[in-house]
Amino acid sequence: MKYLADTAPILTLLICSSVLAATPTVVGSPATATQSHQHHADHQMQFDASGMVMNSNSTELPRGCTAISRDYTFEISAGTKFAARYPGTTYAMSEHEYTVDPCSRVTVTFINTDEVRHQWMVHGLPRYLYPQGMFHLEAAGGATQTGTFIVPSDDRTYLVHCDITQHMEKGMKGQLVVGSGSGDLWAVPGISGAFNNDDYPVTYGFLVLALAVTGGMLSTLWLLWR
Amino acid sequence: MSRRGWIGSIALVSALVCYPADWYPNSWRITIAHWLGPAGYRPLPPAVVISPDATATGAEAAEPACPPDPAAWREAKEIEGVAIRRSPNCVADDPFAVAAFVRGTNNVSLQTLLKSGLTPDAVVKGRDLDGDGDPDEIHIRLEVVELNGGSPEAQLPVTQFAIAPGITPGFWVFAPKTTGMATENFESNNARAILRLPSPAIRVEQGDRVQITLENAHYLPHTIHFHGVDHPFLDANGEGNDGVPITSENPVLPGRARTYEMQPRQPGTMFYHCHVQPHVHVMMGLQGMFIVEENRPDNWVQTLNIGAGHVRAPSVASRESFDREYDLHYLDIDLELNQLIQQHNDPRVINEWLHQRYNVTQATADMFTLNGRSFPYTFRESLIITRPDERIKLRIANGGMNPVALHTHGHKTTITHYDGVEAQPAARITRDVVWIATAQRLDLELETTNDGLHSYGSGVWLLHDHQGRGITNDGIGPGGNVSAIVYEEYLGEDGWPKTFGMKWNRFFDERYYRGAMSVFEDERFAPVESDGWRLLRLVGLFVALGVIAGIALSMLRQRLKTNR
Repeated sequence: MKYLADTAPILTLLICSSVLAATPTVVGSPATATQSHQHHADHQMQFDASGMVMNSNSTELPRGCTAISRDYTFEISAGTKFAARYPGTTYAMSEHEYTVDPCSRVTVTFINTDEVRHQWMVHGLPRYLYPQGMFHLEAAGGATQTGTFIVPSDDRTYLVHCDITQHMEKGMKGQLVVGSGSGDLWAVPGISGAFNNDDYPVTYGFLVLALAVTGGMLSTLWLLWR
Repeated sequence: MSRRGWIGSIALVSALVCYPADWYPNSWRITIAHWLGPAGYRPLPPAVVISPDATATGAEAAEPACPPDPAAWREAKEIEGVAIRRSPNCVADDPFAVAAFVRGTNNVSLQTLLKSGLTPDAVVKGRDLDGDGDPDEIHIRLEVVELNGGSPEAQLPVTQFAIAPGITPGFWVFAPKTTGMATENFESNNARAILRLPSPAIRVEQGDRVQITLENAHYLPHTIHFHGVDHPFLDANGEGNDGVPITSENPVLPGRARTYEMQPRQPGTMFYHCHVQPHVHVMMGLQGMFIVEENRPDNWVQTLNIGAGHVRAPSVASRESFDREYDLHYLDIDLELNQLIQQHNDPRVINEWLHQRYNVTQATADMFTLNGRSFPYTFRESLIITRPDERIKLRIANGGMNPVALHTHGHKTTITHYDGVEAQPAARITRDVVWIATAQRLDLELETTNDGLHSYGSGVWLLHDHQGRGITNDGIGPGGNVSAIVYEEYLGEDGWPKTFGMKWNRFFDERYYRGAMSVFEDERFAPVESDGWRLLRLVGLFVALGVIAGIALSMLRQRLKTNR
């Protein structure tokens, strides 16, 4: 199992599959290509040296939605400079939690302030609408990408991360809370704690613990011999 | 006698009886043996047979030796006008990536690019400066990727790359600039084929204007030093170009990028590696081969060779003189170092452990890899495959902390180049053990002419470090950098050699390298189960000792009472 399966969203995320590497047939110019996918939705895929927008969808409603409930616009910046707020991280985002209404349309503008690639990747979306269950923005160093997707009707918390190796582990993890959500994910900077913690040093630890033991012993003796 | 006395005596006698006979001094044992004669027969404890075969009980079983090749990556292909040779090994490189590396990611169709998983600017090929029909402006972008790293939530290493069954030490590698997920898919924890150890072998043509951009997507600072490659100390802008933090430049910080420039005048097999805290970073995997090919007309070289190994689109000069070409990159690994990035997650803590606490002067190598894998995985992708009467170029680099004493069974090879410099024909040495120091490169010519000198004929002939440790996985053999020279008549359809020795399934069972299985198939050598009889005696001894201690304590209590 890839991630600690503790909360419902993680379990459901495990069901979704497949890769970018297993690419469907694509026709068109390098600037913009339409995936010849058997399902509807405007699965526009943009891909060039500035990055990629995958599975953008601004019109097709997920099952259980009768209309777009609301429009949201998020401007999310990412890079090393945002990591300063969370000690022990290297990469972070301007926001790590995005709360939206069920059946709403979410437009994300993802601004990369670093000189290396970053990603804003949502997992666990319905696969009949989003191939591989993903909505994916990838911005090359210094680039900005914008994409739109429509969230399903049920209350759930979705994983948002950067899948470049160690970027999620070192801070680039967020959660998309639809409705009231389904519980926090682990290790989201500013939101939730880690399951595996490092062994941080404890100042004067030995002395403090020795005093604590002695104190406990002396007070018990005093109580019993009084 | 009091009750205490009785109990004490029984306990004392029991202790003497249960005391294991072999713990008594040998002279006593001999005397007692003279009195009592031979001991009675008891059956010795039975063996535990662990089978690598799948069982109906759902027990662990070995993985298949040769995984299937559903996308037919092994076959010869023509992609984007690039003739990509058949790679007869069981596991081959992605031919679409090979095509993109030959043509340049800026010159291939979107379809090829998407199949390769590369970004459009991963390998950009520009103008033909000398008008000889091939591009001479080459811009390569490399990212720093972590394999088998730690996680604040997962219990296993993330983005896994197993170097042998069940063995996943942490690595840092330079990797071509890719797009999308780092794993095969969201359910999988395995790294994509293009993200692997060793860092790719870089190939350029003599006289090319080469730019290499390091995009440091890692959490620690890094640089690239081009070892043996002709490059200026400062670039055209007067900035450091040697990759050395103490003399030429500040390290490239996380999230930042730097471009190195060079126009190599001399051909040869060279090297590149990170020069930040090199005693740690080089050993973590930030090192690769760098090959400068001789200038020829229409010479479209394969700019990157993922995981080194078979060169599927060799240069014009290589095709002139050789039937096949292989890049062989040797690296040994101190597990104590490479596990540190899995045991900690906070970059500040990792930095302290790697650079202040880890002591390389006390390092011992535990794993020995060829092209990023140890035996038996070396047999999947790093066999030297040949036919009789061929000439094969082997470019060898040793990136490990220890030298390699490379031995070829059934063949004597000729050393043609040392550190990229050609040896005079009269000075060339033909031998069956070549000694390769740390960071050294040797070019070998392997002739498969059956003349009793260069080759002893067809077969499956081992190719390995002849130092004992080098042929083990953390001390268990066969392992390490063992590979083989295999003649095609001895190669199966799936790329697995036809061998006549032990079954392979044993070596593809991770329990083998945990030391849980015997090294022999014959059940008579299976490891022994617990000795129940000895355990019974020891329990008897310790119960008796406990009783004696209890009696002693009760006597002490009585003494204290009477004193009061």
